Amino acid sequence: MTLKDFLNFLNKNTETIIEYTGNHFTLVLSAVIISLVIWVPVGLLLTKSDKWAARVLGLANTIFCIPSLSMFAILVTIPAFGLGRKSALFALILYAMMPLIRSVYDGAKNVDRSVIEAARGMGMSTARILREILVPLGMPIIFAGFRVTVVMTTGIAAIATYIGERNLGRFISEGLIRSNTPMMVTGALIISVIAIGLDTILGLIEKSIVPKGLRINR
Amino acid sequence: MIELKQITKQYLGQAMPAVENLSLSIPEGEICVLVGPSGCGKSTILRMINRMIEPTSGTVTIKGEDVSSTDSDQLRMGIGYVIQQIGLLPHRTIAENIAIVPRLYKWPKERIAKRVDELIVMMGLDLEKTRGKYPSQLSGGQMQRVGVARAMAVDPPIMLMDEPFGAVDPIARNHLQDELLRLQKEIKKTIVFVTHDINEAIKMGDNIAIFDAGKLVQFGTPEEILTNPKNSFVENFIGHDRVVKKLNLYRADDAMQPVGCLVKESDLQSAGQRMKDAGTEVAFLLNEVGQRLGHLTFAEFEAGKGDLEGLRKKVLRTEKAFVQISTSLPDALSLLLEFDSDYLGILKGDELCGMLSFKDIRKHVYRKDGE
Ligand SMILES: Nc1ncnc2c1ncn2[C@@H]1O[C@H](COP(=O)(O)OP(=O)(O)O)[C@@H](O)[C@H]1O
Ligand SMILES: [Mg+2]
Repeated sequence: MTLKDFLNFLNKNTETIIEYTGNHFTLVLSAVIISLVIWVPVGLLLTKSDKWAARVLGLANTIFCIPSLSMFAILVTIPAFGLGRKSALFALILYAMMPLIRSVYDGAKNVDRSVIEAARGMGMSTARILREILVPLGMPIIFAGFRVTVVMTTGIAAIATYIGERNLGRFISEGLIRSNTPMMVTGALIISVIAIGLDTILGLIEKSIVPKGLRINR
Repeated sequence: MIELKQITKQYLGQAMPAVENLSLSIPEGEICVLVGPSGCGKSTILRMINRMIEPTSGTVTIKGEDVSSTDSDQLRMGIGYVIQQIGLLPHRTIAENIAIVPRLYKWPKERIAKRVDELIVMMGLDLEKTRGKYPSQLSGGQMQRVGVARAMAVDPPIMLMDEPFGAVDPIARNHLQDELLRLQKEIKKTIVFVTHDINEAIKMGDNIAIFDAGKLVQFGTPEEILTNPKNSFVENFIGHDRVVKKLNLYRADDAMQPVGCLVKESDLQSAGQRMKDAGTEVAFLLNEVGQRLGHLTFAEFEAGKGDLEGLRKKVLRTEKAFVQISTSLPDALSLLLEFDSDYLGILKGDELCGMLSFKDIRKHVYRKDGE
């Protein structure tokens, strides 16, 4: 493949590229948002019970170990999901369970017990302790998990092309079948750029969001 | 003020109750120290007062009100709480840390800011330098001060302090203890103070409750406990230097006796007769303008009777042997030894108001000892 072939491909398929990139983005975005809404509260809740924490984290680990193709295949056989976006979304949310729950749980658990003890002793309510102490102090660990989730979701979303998602993964799968190198490279390149780009942006956000007192050294 | 009635706390999965059938009445406006070996249930007792822990049986009342009938967050907002690890919020500045409880009470911003400044100054911290710092930028002693300031933010009538000075070095600890005592003279809070250090208990407590394995062994003033330890556990816990510890409770004016007799320098040769007449063993010598020169015992006078100049020198050797009435007995004892003197003159300001000998100290301790 020459650079010219590649540019040619980009030129001829601009519309498709835009469509696939858009689809890819919306899938990743909706998966990440729904995952946050579900798994962050679950992770926080788990800090209340060691027993349940062990169970749920175990389950999340198991799910995380299922290869993505197998996962998509299984979901497609379930009538409620079938081929397409529903299955893809559901699978991505399940994969996000492990890194998100784990990091939120670890982040909250990592907060110095004496800080919570003192806060409780001063009459801070559980909700307030959560909002003003656990979340900000757990933020560095939570954010690390969040970044992993976003990058991972971007990658796995590509595989959803096998169950009918028309996204950047399609360039790779079709490119492979047709031995169309420019097509494969386009898919791979854009996915990587999205992943790296999102991670960089999140890294910048993280810097501004981590409480100042935690960044100061003696 | 705080009343514990037949409190028992049995933790799940523990063979023995952490606190067993404890009844204790904590007087208002004083420091009550809970002391005992590690694991004897002190923290558990403290935490049952502000409902961080619920007792298995029994009731805690504050000013007659059963705490179990109050809202626990509301209850805790009204009680100062200081722990050994302090637990400052690392992501909040010192000012923000101190402002936590006032914020819970929804005080207006200006009132909070004013109170925070007041507390920082009251704790002996540099206002401008401290206010905007983060906890990790302070020393252990400074953090502990902030911990105390934070607990006092809304001026609660009750403070619970769980080994508050346990994590700082001995010098800083001494300092913090002195300051709390000084502060307490003004603020007169009801303080429940937990420690495992008997010396700290003796120093800080108006009353001391000694615990062993979840049971109250003895309750009383430091003097009562040092004078009449109830059993061998208390005796051992206090240690072999019980009497020396007891000395710490007294000042020179507690043990001193009136000045034997005063003799002018020019009357030195008649000092012996004067002492005889006054029925005393010692005379203090003054020069012509009434300045104190020192003292002379009857035995010394008899031994050097002929040699006036020698006697004068003897007197002058004790010219430093004077202390203020507020001197603690251990310090007075130490000075007696240091000056190799039989007596110390006791001063109130610049006025000689008494004298103190080894015998007086001994008599005082034994009198109180009931022996
Ligand atoms: N949350 C808990 N669960 C079970 N046992 C506890 C708990 N807290 C304290 N204990 C036990 O209760 C006893 C008293 O503990 P504590 O009140 O902390 O003692 P102290 O403060 O005097 O060192 C100890 O034997 C301790 O192991
Ligand atoms: Mg304790």
